[in-house]
Amino acid sequence: MIHIFDGAMGTILQQQGLLPSGYCPELLCIDNPGALTAIHKKYVDAGATIIETNTFGASPIKLSHYNLENKTREINIAAVKAAKVAAKNKARVAGSMGPTGKFIKPLGDLDFEDAYENYKLQAAALYEAGADYIIIETSIDLQEMRAALLAAKDVTTLPVICQLSYSEDGRTVTGTDPQTAAITLDRMGADIIGVNCSLGPEQLVPIVKMLSENTEKPISVQPNAGLPQLINGKTTFPMGPEDFGKWAPHLVQAGATYIGGCCGTTPAHIAALKESLKDCKEPEFKPLRRRLMLTSRSKTVTIDKELPTVLIGERINPTGRKKLAAEIKEGSFLSVKKEAIDQVKVGAQLLDINMGVGGINQAQAMKKAITEISQLTDAPLIIDTSDPEVLEAGLRAYPGRALINSVSAEKERLRTFIPLAKKYGAAILCLPLTDEGIPKTAADRISVMDTILDAAKKAGLRDGDFLLDALVMTIAADQYACNHVLDTLKMYRTKYGYPSTMGLSNISFGLPNRPLMNSTFFSMCLAEGLDAPIMNPYDDQMQNALLASMALLGKDPNGIAYSKNENNLTAPKKAAIAKHTQLSPVDAVKQAIIDGDTDAIPELIENALKDNIDPTELTEKALTAAMNDIGVDFGAGRIFLPQVLLSAEAMKNAFDVLKVKYPAKENNEKGTVVLATVKGDIHDLGKNIVGALLENSGFKLIDLGKDVPAEEIVAAAIKNDADIVGLCALMTTTMTEIDEVIRQLNKAGSPSKTMVGGAALTQDYADEAGADYYAKDAVIALNIANEIIKK
Amino acid sequence: MPIFNSQILDIDRKEAKRYAGLQKSNFDDKIIDEACELARLIINPRGIWEQYDYDEISQTIKASPEFQLKGNSIKKHLTGCKKVILIAVTVGIEIENKITSLFKEGKYGLSLILDAAATAAVEQSADQMEKAIKNQVVKQGYNMKWRFSPGYGDWPIQQQPEIVKAVQAEAIGISLTESMMLEPRKSITALIGLYEEANECIMDISNKGCSSCNKTDCPSRVKT
Repeated sequence: MIHIFDGAMGTILQQQGLLPSGYCPELLCIDNPGALTAIHKKYVDAGATIIETNTFGASPIKLSHYNLENKTREINIAAVKAAKVAAKNKARVAGSMGPTGKFIKPLGDLDFEDAYENYKLQAAALYEAGADYIIIETSIDLQEMRAALLAAKDVTTLPVICQLSYSEDGRTVTGTDPQTAAITLDRMGADIIGVNCSLGPEQLVPIVKMLSENTEKPISVQPNAGLPQLINGKTTFPMGPEDFGKWAPHLVQAGATYIGGCCGTTPAHIAALKESLKDCKEPEFKPLRRRLMLTSRSKTVTIDKELPTVLIGERINPTGRKKLAAEIKEGSFLSVKKEAIDQVKVGAQLLDINMGVGGINQAQAMKKAITEISQLTDAPLIIDTSDPEVLEAGLRAYPGRALINSVSAEKERLRTFIPLAKKYGAAILCLPLTDEGIPKTAADRISVMDTILDAAKKAGLRDGDFLLDALVMTIAADQYACNHVLDTLKMYRTKYGYPSTMGLSNISFGLPNRPLMNSTFFSMCLAEGLDAPIMNPYDDQMQNALLASMALLGKDPNGIAYSKNENNLTAPKKAAIAKHTQLSPVDAVKQAIIDGDTDAIPELIENALKDNIDPTELTEKALTAAMNDIGVDFGAGRIFLPQVLLSAEAMKNAFDVLKVKYPAKENNEKGTVVLATVKGDIHDLGKNIVGALLENSGFKLIDLGKDVPAEEIVAAAIKNDADIVGLCALMTTTMTEIDEVIRQLNKAGSPSKTMVGGAALTQDYADEAGADYYAKDAVIALNIANEIIKK
Repeated sequence: MPIFNSQILDIDRKEAKRYAGLQKSNFDDKIIDEACELARLIINPRGIWEQYDYDEISQTIKASPEFQLKGNSIKKHLTGCKKVILIAVTVGIEIENKITSLFKEGKYGLSLILDAAATAAVEQSADQMEKAIKNQVVKQGYNMKWRFSPGYGDWPIQQQPEIVKAVQAEAIGISLTESMMLEPRKSITALIGLYEEANECIMDISNKGCSSCNKTDCPSRVKT
C-alpha cells in the first residue's frame, strides 16, 4: 500500500497571516487549534492518509527561544488533538519532531545526552496524546537523528519514521550519504527511513533509490515544491501542483511507499500527487542479502567473502603499551589520535578502540576516544571492552554503526552485551569462548558459536550482524593450534556464510622470529577465507603477505597491486646517496644543499673530510657557493621559498656536523644581526625565515622574537654592537612602529645599518621611515646582509 | 549563536602548497603529506556565526549595539543585501605553537608547510561552516554572497572589534590584539551578505577572492 503524507503547514499559516513576527508557530496549537484542524482537514480531504502535527519546533530546546520550554507537553498534546479531530478514521497522525538547531558535540556545543532528553520529553507527550507515528524530520546530522530515535524508542512503542535532509551533493550538511543513513538507522530500529526538504522531487529520486537499495524497511519521501525564492520579501516556491504530482510515480518507482510534500506544498499538491499515483503499482518487495556493513558518520565499509580483505587496526590498545596507557590515564589522547591517522594511512579500514587502562573511568575514556577519533577519520570504529558500561558509553557517543568486540558464550556477556547491540544497532564480533574456557577443536568451536548466534538471533539480531572469530591460540602450547583455526574458518564459511576475523599474532606467542610465523599463518588463513584480520597494519611483512596472497588467490587480477607495491620498495635514501657519488665530494655536498637533501648531508660531509678537504674550503666551495646558487635561482623565480628553506635546513645540518668536528671554528662569524618583529605584531614566520638564512650563512644572530618594544631592540643593538638591525612588521596597523624603532636607534647614536621587511611594507615606506635597506624577501635580506658586511 | 566545529578529514594539499608559495613548482610530497597529517592531528577547528539585519542605506549592521560599516568595497559587496551573517572560525593555538617549535628545532621546511597547512585548514573550516549556513539561509529563500573579511579592499581592519564582539568570537577562543590581529593567528572573521534571488543584477558586482586584492605580486595569488 502507498501511504500519502500531507504537505506544508508553515507555508499556509504564513499565507493566512497567523504567524506575526516573533510569534512561536507551535503556540498556535494552544492559541488557535481550530485553524490547525482546518488545515489538517484540507489535507485529509486532498487524500492524505498520514497527517503531521504542528510540532516541528515543539521540543524544549526550540521552544526555549520563546521562553516556552515549560509548555512542551501542553503544546504537543494540543497539537495531536488538533490533528486527530481532522483525521477521524480517514488518516493517521504522525507526531513531528524537527532539529534542535544546534550541533551535537564535537561538531557543536550540544551534549548528546541533552539532545536525547530534549526529544524524550517531546516524544513522550506526542505518545501520551495518542499519535500513531513519531516522525523525526529535516535532520541534517546523523548523530542528532540517533539521539531522537533512541529517545522515541525508549519512551514510546510507536513506529518511528526517520527522515534526513540532503544537500545538492547528495550528503547531509554533516557528511552522511544515503547508504550510511539507511544502514545505521535500519539497524537501530527505525521503522520507516526517508528524506525530506531541501531539494525538489527530481533531485530526491536518486536518494530514494539509494535508500531502498540498502534497507528492506519502507522508504518515505517528502520533497519541497522546488527550491524557495524570495520575491519582494515573500518566500515563494516555483513548482506548481501538477509538476509536483508528475514526479510521484518516479519516486515510487525508486522505492518510496510513503510519499508527501514538504515546504511550499499545499493541499492542491497533495491532491495532484494522489491523482498521479492512481494507477501506480506499488514497488515489489525485494529481499536484500544482508551483508556485514559498518558505518561512520560519512562512510560505509562492507565485510564480505566476495570483497577484498578488510584490515582492522589493533594499535589503539594500551595493553602492554606503558606510554600509551600513561597518556590515556593523564587524559591526553594525542597518541591515540595519531594511531588513528597513521593506521588509516597504511590501509586499516576499521579501527579497534580499547581503553583498558586500570584506575581510570573507562566509560568516560571510551566516550572521549570515540568522539575524538570519529571526528578525525571516517573509518568505522570497533568498541573493544568487556565492561557493558564502557560499551554503552562508546555506543551512545558513536555517530554510526559500530562493531562490538566481543560477544562470547559466557553467560554474563550474552546477557549484557546482546541487548546493547540490538538497541544501538551495532554488529557483534562473536568469540567462541565459554565460562568453562576455550574449545579446542573446530567442531567444539562451532557448537559454542551456535550458542552465541542462537542467543543473538533470539534477541532480534540477524544476518549481517555477525563477524565470527576463529580464535587463535599459540602453537607453542598446542601443536595443532593452526590446524584448528584453518578448520574453523572452513566450517564458518560452509555452515554460516558469515565473514570471519581473528587476532593473528597469538599463533607465534613464545616463539622466535614471530614475523615469519605470523605472515605464513596469515597467508594460510587468507586461503581458507579469513575476511577481516585484526593486526598491526604497520607490519610490512604482514602487508606483503596480504598483497601476495591477494594476487595468488585471484583477488588482484594479474598481480597489478602487487607489482606496483614492489616497485615502491626501493629505498629512496640509498638512491639519493648514490646520486651524489658521481660528483666530487665538494660538489656532492653542494648539490645536496641545493636539493635540500637534509638526510644525506652528514654522510657526504664525512666523505669530504675523509678526502682531506679543508673544512674552510668545504664551507666556501660547497656551502656558501650552494647558497649563492640558490639565491640566484630564487631571484629568477626558478625555485620558491620552501625549497630555499629546505636548503637552509641542509646547511644547518652541515654546520652542525662541522661544529662538532671543529669547535674552534665556531666563532668565525661574518657579522652580528639583531632581528625582531616590532611591538604589536605577532607574526614571526617571515622574520624566522630571514633569521634561519642569516644564521646558516655564517652570521651571528640575536633573535629578539615577536611583539618587541623599541627600547628593547635599541638596547640589544648597542649591547651586541650589531652590524645590522632587521625589523619586521606584517600589517599596516603595526608597520608604523618601524619608524619609531629607527627614530630611537638614531637618537641613541647606533651605528647599525637597518633593514626592514614584511608583507605590507614597500621600498617607499622604508625610505620614508629612514631605513637603510628594504628587503622584499628573505633571500634579498641575505644578499643585503652580505653586502653590508663586505663594505 | 550557532556553534559549528568542522570535521576536517583531509587537508587540501593543493591549497596548502599554494599558501606555501609552491603553486608552480615540484616539492617533496613527503613533507607536504607529513605537514598535512600533523596539522590534522593538532588542529582544533571551532566556528561560530550569527545572522543580523542589514540596513543598506546607512550601511549599518543591526547587532546590539549596531554599527556602521566603513569603506566602499564592503558597501559595494553588500549591494542588495537585506541581512548579513557574521562568522568567526579558528583552528586553535596548538598548531601555531608547533609551527614555532619546529622552526626552532631547525625543521624550517616542515614548519613553513605546516603554517600553510594551517591556513588551508582554517579556510576549509570556514567553507564547511558556510555549507551548514547555506542549508539554513536557503530555507529562508536567501542566497549567499562570498565571505568578505576585514582588510579586503578598503574595509579597514580597525572594524575588527565590532565584528569580533557581534559574532561572540571569544566563545570559541578568539581574541583581538591592540593592533587588530586575531589570536590565534590562524583564525578568520568574515561577513556574508544575504540577498534575494530575484535581484540577479547584484550578484557579480565585486571580484571574488584573489582577484579582488591589490597585492598582485603575492606568491599565493590564484592565477586567473
